[in-house]
Amino acid sequence: MRSLLLLSAGLALSAPAVGQPQPASPQPASPQPGNLAVTIYNQNLALVQDTRQLDLPAGRSRQEFPNVSGQISPETVTLSGQGIGIVEQNFDFDLLSPSKLMEKAVGEEITLLRTNPATGAETRERAKVLAVNGGVVLQIGNRIEVLRDDGLPVRAIFDRVPENLRARPTLSVTLESARAGARPVTLSYLTPGMSWKADYVTLFDEAAGRIDVQGWVTLTNTTGTTFDNADTLLVAGEIGGRNGYNPHDGGYRLPPPPGNRPGTETPGRETLGDFYLYPLRERTTIANQQTKQVSFLDVAGAAGRRAYVFRNSWLGTLDQASSADTVLQFSSSRDQGLGDALPAGTVRVYMKDKRGNAQFIGENQIGHTPMGSDIAITTGQAFDVKVRPVVEKRERMSSSRWRTTMRYTLTNARSQPATVDLIQSGLWGDVRIVEESRKSERRNADETMWRVTVPANGEATVTATFDTLY
Amino acid sequence: MIRAILVLLLSGAAATAGAAPPVATSPGPVSVAVTVYRAPGRGADEAMNLRWLNGFALVTETRRISIPAGESDVRFEGVAGGILPESAIVSGFPKGVVEKNQDAWLLSPASLLDAALGRRVNLRRTSLSTGAVRRTEAVVRSGAGGAVVLETPDGIESLRCDGLPSTLVYDRVPAGLSAKPTLSVRVRSPRAVRAAVTLSYIASGFDWQADYVARLSPDGASMDLFAWLTLANGDETGFRQADTQAVAGRINRSAYSPQRPQAPPLVLRCWPSGTTTSDLVEQEFEKEEIVVTGSRMMMDLAMAPLPEPAPPPPPAPAMMAQQEDLGDLKLYRIPERVTVSARSQKQVALLSRQGVKVDTVYRLDAYSPNPQGLRVIRVLSTRNDSAAGLGLPLPAGRLVLFGTGSSRPLLLGRGSVDDKAVGEDLEILVGAANSVVAEAVRLVPGAGEGGEWELTVSNAQPAPVRFEALLAEGAMKLVSETALGRRHGRPLWAVTIPANGRATLRYRFAGF
Repeated sequence: MRSLLLLSAGLALSAPAVGQPQPASPQPASPQPGNLAVTIYNQNLALVQDTRQLDLPAGRSRQEFPNVSGQISPETVTLSGQGIGIVEQNFDFDLLSPSKLMEKAVGEEITLLRTNPATGAETRERAKVLAVNGGVVLQIGNRIEVLRDDGLPVRAIFDRVPENLRARPTLSVTLESARAGARPVTLSYLTPGMSWKADYVTLFDEAAGRIDVQGWVTLTNTTGTTFDNADTLLVAGEIGGRNGYNPHDGGYRLPPPPGNRPGTETPGRETLGDFYLYPLRERTTIANQQTKQVSFLDVAGAAGRRAYVFRNSWLGTLDQASSADTVLQFSSSRDQGLGDALPAGTVRVYMKDKRGNAQFIGENQIGHTPMGSDIAITTGQAFDVKVRPVVEKRERMSSSRWRTTMRYTLTNARSQPATVDLIQSGLWGDVRIVEESRKSERRNADETMWRVTVPANGEATVTATFDTLY
Repeated sequence: MIRAILVLLLSGAAATAGAAPPVATSPGPVSVAVTVYRAPGRGADEAMNLRWLNGFALVTETRRISIPAGESDVRFEGVAGGILPESAIVSGFPKGVVEKNQDAWLLSPASLLDAALGRRVNLRRTSLSTGAVRRTEAVVRSGAGGAVVLETPDGIESLRCDGLPSTLVYDRVPAGLSAKPTLSVRVRSPRAVRAAVTLSYIASGFDWQADYVARLSPDGASMDLFAWLTLANGDETGFRQADTQAVAGRINRSAYSPQRPQAPPLVLRCWPSGTTTSDLVEQEFEKEEIVVTGSRMMMDLAMAPLPEPAPPPPPAPAMMAQQEDLGDLKLYRIPERVTVSARSQKQVALLSRQGVKVDTVYRLDAYSPNPQGLRVIRVLSTRNDSAAGLGLPLPAGRLVLFGTGSSRPLLLGRGSVDDKAVGEDLEILVGAANSVVAEAVRLVPGAGEGGEWELTVSNAQPAPVRFEALLAEGAMKLVSETALGRRHGRPLWAVTIPANGRATLRYRFAGF
C-alpha cells in the first residue's frame, strides 16, 4: 500500500502527459496544448501558434510548455495574453539521463541496494557520491568504494530528479500577471523540421492533346512532436534568412527546354505579399515522422502537348545517335490551362497503355510558377527520335577566325512525324552563321535553334557553318 | 481505492487522446500489376547490382475494403517497402480521399520506450540466484537516446545499470506505431460500402535490363539473336500473380530524398562505470550496451551476382514479352500473370530473331596521327530493319556472342547494346582481332607527331576481309594514291584486304 501511495504521488507530480495543471503543486504548471495553428513554409520552417487557456495566479508564476516542437528555435518564442508580462524565458535542453543523474548527485546521498548473487538476499545502505569521473566514487560510512568495482549487482537509487533536467527540451516562461484568473494565452515560435512541397499527378492523353492534373500538397513533420488537430496553412514562396534552405539555389543546371515563360495572371487565391497561401480546408493532425498529402488542385482536360528538344554543346560530335528529350508543354493560365498558381514541386506524368492502365513516363521539378505561365518540362528521352551531331569540318580562316561546319542527322522511327527543336548552344563571342540548310532562330547570344519536322519513319538533315573566334 | 483513481486518471487521458475515427485495414491486394523501370543512370554495359537496385517500379494494386459510414482511416498493408509515399494515387472511394498519410515511425524497442515517456510501465526483475520474478510499477521519466531513468516505488533509478536482469514490460503498442511504413488514407463515405479501390505508387529497389545472346553462323554472314527480359525485385515485398511489364527508354527522375522509416537502435546508456582496474585514461562510459536494431537487413547473401546469360534456348520460347509503344517509351508486357518474388531476379524471353544478316568489319580508330599500338577491333555490323532480319526496338543491355565451333559453341566476345530504334545501325564490338593486325611506321620524321607515316594492315585469314580505318582529322596529306571517304566528320580509309595479304597507306602530317 505504501508503495502504491508513493507511486501515485510520483505520477501526479511527474507525468506531464497525464497530469492536469496542479495549482497547489510546488511544481510549475504544464498546460495541455490547446488550439494549434501551424503555418508551414517550403524551406523546412514552420510557425506554430499554440493558444491555451491558462489559469494564472496574480503575481509571478512559472509556466512550462513540454509539448512544443523538439526542434523549436527558442529565440523566436513569444507569449502573449491579456494582462501578462514576461519576466524571463528559459529553454532547458539539458536532458535527464543516468549520467546526468549521477553527476548531479555528487555530494549527495543515494541508496545502494545490493543483491547477493548466491542467495538473492538484499542489503540496503546509504552512500555519498564523492565524484563521477570515469567511474563513480562513493563514501559509505567510513569506507571509500568504487561503484560496482567487484562487478556484483548494485542498484543505485536516487531520492529525486534534479531540477532543470528534463526528458525533452522544455520551454519555461516566468510570467507576471496583474490579476488572477483563466485567460487564453498564445505561444508562438518558429521551428525547423516541417516542410512542404507540391506533387502533381498528370495523366497525359497524347492523341487528344489533353492533360488531367491533380495537385497534392505533401507536408512532412520530423520535429519529433505531433501537432494534434492543427489549423494548417501552407505558404508558397521563398523566404530568406538563415533557415531558408533553397533547393533551387546554386549549382549549375541545364537551361530549361524552350516553351517556358512566366505568367502574368493573378489567381483567386489568398496572397500575402509575394506568397500564395494554401489553407487546408479542415483541421488535421500532423503526426511525428509523418508524410501527409492533401489535395489542392484538380483539373481535367487542360491542353498539353509533347515536344522534342535536342541541345548540342559546342563542337559536340557523337559516335552514335542520341535520343532527343521528350518535353511536355502545358500552361497554368485560366484559358486552356490549369488556372492556378503552382507551388514548387514534382510533376509526375502518366500515360495509358493499350490496356488502359496508367503507366509512369517520367517526372520533373517545377519552381513556384505564377498563373498564366507556359511550362515545358523534360520527362525523359525519346526511344525513337534521335539526333546525331557531327563536326564535319574545321577550317582556320585567319589567326583569329575559324569556320566550323556541323551536320545534324535527325531520325524518327515513330509512325507519326516528330517536330524537334534542335538547339546548338555554346555560341559565345561574335558567332555568325555563314551558311545553313534551313533558317534558324537565334534564341539568345548563346543558342540558335532549328525547328525540324522529321517525317514518320524517316530522317532529316540540318547543316550549318559557323564563323567563330575559336 | 487509490489504484482505482489512478486507473481512472490514466484511462481518461487515453480517451481524450484517442478521438480518432474507426480504422479499416486492407491486408493485401486482390490483384496487382508491376511495371519495372531501368535505373536512369545505368549504362548499357553496366550490370545490375542486386544489392543496390537503382531502378524503380510502378505498382498498381486493386483492393477490396469495407468502409463504414462517415469518416474512417483506411490502412493499406503489404505495400512495397520502397514506396515513395508522395507518389501514391488512390481511387475508387465513393467520395474521394480527405488526406493521405504515411507514418514512418516504426514499432521498435526505441520507439516503444519513447512513446512510454511519462507513462506507467512494468519493470520486471529476475533474480539470478533464485529465479524469482518480481514485477514493479514504474514511470518512465526519461528515455531519449536510451538514457532511461525510471521512477519506482523505491525512488529514481536507471534501467540495467545495476547489473541485474531487468526489463520494461509495456501494456500495449502505442497508437501510430506499425511494423512497416504504412500508407493510410482518411475517407468519408455517406454509407457503409465495400469499395474496390485502386492504389498505385512508385517504389524504389527494382531494375531490369535486356540480356542478349547472339550466335554467329559458321560462315559469319548471319546470327541468331535472342534476348532475355531480366527483371529484379530488391524489395522485401513480393507480388503474386502480377501483371508484369517493363519499360525501355530513358525517363527523367528528380533527385529526391524520401523520408526513411525511423527505427533507430536502442542503446541503453548508463553513468560512468569505470572501476579501479579499468583503464582510466580511456573513459568508457557505456559498459553494457544492448543493441536491438530494427533497421532493414542486408539483402540475402544467397543472392548470387548476375549470371551470364545462358546459351540460347530452343528456337521458339513458350512465352515471350509483347512490345507496345507507350508515348516515347517502349512497354514490354509479360503475357501471362507471373509472380515477382521478393528479393529475386526473373527472366522471360524478350525477343528472338533467326538469321539476322551481319557484316564483319575490322576497324581501326586512329584518333591520333600516330596509330602505333592501336588494336584492330572486330565489329559485327548490321542495320535494325526488316531487310536485315531485325526491325524491332532493341532495349539496352549486355550481349554475349557465341561462335559455332566444330563441336560446341565458343564464346567470341561480350559487349552491350544501347537503346536502338528501328532503322538505326547496330554494331556489336566482338573484341580485338588477332588475325588482322595494323602497324604504323614513321618513314620521315617531323615535328611532334608530324612526318610521313606508313600504315600497314595484314590479314592472316584465308579469306578477304573488310577493313576500315577512321583517321585523325587535321593537316593530313595523303601520299598514297588512294581515295579516302569521310564518315562522321573524319577521313575514312575503307579497303578489302585480300586473303593472307596486306594493304598500306602513306600519309604526311604537318603536325598540329
